[in-house]
Amino acid sequence: MSDLSPMRVVTALVAIAALIALPFLASGATLDIANQILLATIGAIALMLLTGFAGQISLGHAGLLAAGAFTAGILAQEIAAPFWIGIPAAALTGALLGVIFGLPSLRLRGIYLAVSTLALHFLVVYVGGEYETRRGFSTGILIDPPVVFGFEFWDPVAWYPVLLVVAVLVWLLARNLLRSRTGRAWAAIHDTEPVAAALGINVARTKLWAFVISSAITAMAGALFAYYRGFVSIEAFSLFVTIQYVAMIIIGGMGSLLGAVLGAAFVTILPHAIEAASGVLPSSGGLAGSIFAMNYAAFGLIMIAFLVFEPGGLVGILRRIGGKRGTR
Amino acid sequence: MSELVVDKISLSFGGLQVLNEVSLSVNEGELLALIGPNGAGKTTVFNCISGLYRPTGAVRFRGQDIIGKKPHEVAALGIARTFQHGEVFARLNVADNLMAARHLAIRSNPLSEMLGLPGARRQEREHRAQIARILDLCDLTALADTPVTDLPYGTQKLVGFARALALGPSLLLLDEPSAGLTREEREDLAYYILKTKAELGIAMIWIEHDMQMVADLADRIHVLDYGRSLADGAPEAVLNDPGVIKAYLGTV
Repeated sequence: MSDLSPMRVVTALVAIAALIALPFLASGATLDIANQILLATIGAIALMLLTGFAGQISLGHAGLLAAGAFTAGILAQEIAAPFWIGIPAAALTGALLGVIFGLPSLRLRGIYLAVSTLALHFLVVYVGGEYETRRGFSTGILIDPPVVFGFEFWDPVAWYPVLLVVAVLVWLLARNLLRSRTGRAWAAIHDTEPVAAALGINVARTKLWAFVISSAITAMAGALFAYYRGFVSIEAFSLFVTIQYVAMIIIGGMGSLLGAVLGAAFVTILPHAIEAASGVLPSSGGLAGSIFAMNYAAFGLIMIAFLVFEPGGLVGILRRIGGKRGTR
Repeated sequence: MSELVVDKISLSFGGLQVLNEVSLSVNEGELLALIGPNGAGKTTVFNCISGLYRPTGAVRFRGQDIIGKKPHEVAALGIARTFQHGEVFARLNVADNLMAARHLAIRSNPLSEMLGLPGARRQEREHRAQIARILDLCDLTALADTPVTDLPYGTQKLVGFARALALGPSLLLLDEPSAGLTREEREDLAYYILKTKAELGIAMIWIEHDMQMVADLADRIHVLDYGRSLADGAPEAVLNDPGVIKAYLGTV
């Protein structure tokens, strides 16, 4: 954990310098992608805690993001609540939903658990959609940008440092947790539940905590997403979003926080990369319409490729490169 | 005074009677060997004690009936166990395997752990100090930061033993700790078992097939055969009992 080899220190310093320099160098569009990566990072860390560390499968991720976004949106719309109420409220909603999402895990595992969380996804999306139609916001809910001491957060440049700080904080909180009692209990139940129980670990409570913590962080990410976009619509939280997050933690590398970050970056950049690539190709006119299809297909192929050839994900590749020098 | 009394427990899986009125007891600080041919029901007795199965009859720990308690509740009373194949937590290093078994003793909650509050940090430090003593007792200190999957099988089983000790039990159930170990590893294991008994005074029930080890170490032996208690007593008496010899060797 704490081996500060010169190589790692240099890499870390370069990364920090690049993150600080980015808003001064990048265009608004590039910074928007960076912000999307940071938002995805928060959501991916949350899913990584649940699946990569505690070993619980969930297909409810988009539903939880939606719950957070809608909590912020509805509070802003109905009682004009500012962000410092909206974000904690979203986290609280996520925590409560986490208990509900987690209850099936006490009985079910694997594919059965996945399907039950999927049912809850549809439930949240249904409730969100009902709210939109009942209140007459059929296209979605508008949210005013957060204001701090008279300063309005509305453009990507203003948002970048905020999201960067939140993402770093979430990383640190997750790292602390994983190095403590709760993190070890997650690893234990992930390995073998009966043995964990025989050593005094309350398996049910440990699982529920995993769902609660992961869901609270996820809903908070959803609320941040809502404030960042200034707009909430249930269409933004399709099942494909869940698949994207599952792809992030698989491509990044299961059981690694760094993997969550790398996966979030990879999956966020991928559609833009495909778009850029299709622009370079000669028959771009014909391809432009099929960019979405290409994006889906590329996802499928890349996920299968990682599962088959590199189950350790991007982090596995990094470790292999580092491992050649005899370090772990 | 008896630490644990197993009183006429019976268990069947469908039509198969696995345990038939098995009774045994172990006293404070006593090392009881539980022996018997394969399939006699030894591990099943352990599973009944540690709450994985629910037999009829009674299992009393310090006078309290514990049948029906969940495994983690049984552990909370101070009953720890090892597993035949080690079953160490592959995702954790040696020290964290032991720390995982301190779960009940560590007083902190996920929120204070996330925020790294002083209370949570102090708990972490205190319990790291506790497991350092156990690592030392089992000569595992040098391997504390090693991922358990990097260790040979015999050492993994020793980690499983140390992990059970880390729970801070007053009764330890050892399920074939010597199986799959080399001659040398067995001698080390015998040393750690005796040391545990002498330094920590923990009562132990020890499932074992190595009769030489049993004869050398056990205070008392209990023999199971086809789910029944066959004999109980001092090692030399039990190992020379014609009924026991017959159970092991078939008709003589």
